[in-house]
Amino acid sequence: MVMKESLMDILCCPVDKHDLELTVDTKDDEEIIEGTLTCTECGEAYPIEDGIPNLLPPDMRDEAAA
Amino acid sequence: MSEEPSSPPANTPDRAAGSVQAVYDRIADHFASTRAYAWPEVESFVTTIADNEGLGRALDLGCGNGRHTELLAEHGADAIGVDVSRGLLSTAATRQRDHGFAAGLVQGDAATLPFADATFDQIVYVATLHHLRPEATRRQSLAELGRLLRPGGLALVSAWSTAHDRFDAERSFDTTVEWTLPGGETVDRYYHIYDPDAFRAALNASDTIEPLVVAVSSGNCYAIVTTTDGDATPDWPVESVL
Repeated sequence: MVMKESLMDILCCPVDKHDLELTVDTKDDEEIIEGTLTCTECGEAYPIEDGIPNLLPPDMRDEAAA
Repeated sequence: MSEEPSSPPANTPDRAAGSVQAVYDRIADHFASTRAYAWPEVESFVTTIADNEGLGRALDLGCGNGRHTELLAEHGADAIGVDVSRGLLSTAATRQRDHGFAAGLVQGDAATLPFADATFDQIVYVATLHHLRPEATRRQSLAELGRLLRPGGLALVSAWSTAHDRFDAERSFDTTVEWTLPGGETVDRYYHIYDPDAFRAALNASDTIEPLVVAVSSGNCYAIVTTTDGDATPDWPVESVL
């Protein structure tokens, strides 16, 4: 699974809806596999893992299955 | 689903999407394997738009295993699937690989969505709203729906209804419904079951969306909604879709 860079045009911070800045750790052509999206307003960092950005609000991010 | 609704535990946490997330992470693989095909109402909504004005950028909100994301993509939409559960998103990614359709996948909360205003031409929001709680969060989610739609865009919304054969109640209520995993282990899922009037009231309460048609179909409350700032309605009969 990969995240296309064009997705950046429509994604925003879930909390304050401001733009996100992309940092790429692993990339394949125009497709992002691992990286970070950082809110340009509040500074919150959202991880991209296995090509799927985790843009849950911070208070819900750690509620994965036991 | 062969389970019966039961009373919710008294200590149910107030902010439910978190527990919905954990529940669906836990049952994701089995749940996804039992949800192979698109719902007829969704198929009708998607194909009608595809045959008329055509699909644009489309969101499948609460995409689960991606069956409706796939439907949107194969009818020409630039499709994006969102779910709260990473486990379910993994099953959607697998489906995407196996079936070969293009779509973006994003993990997000239906009441706090990570997309810019007026991003989507169409939104499919089925069988998801009823997992949110309390009512204020459900209404916040409906307001988000209107924020994300471009003016005049269309969304299909559904929630489980008291009109379903398995329920006796005539008014909306909260319940939990067990999911039985292979081997017999059960996992509770929270639901708010809407009576049709309360569903309509929730839609009308949002100042960002305007329902074009509200109906009960297959035991679910359904609505096609547009934005309050749109000046055009579809030139096809919306009631024919439901």
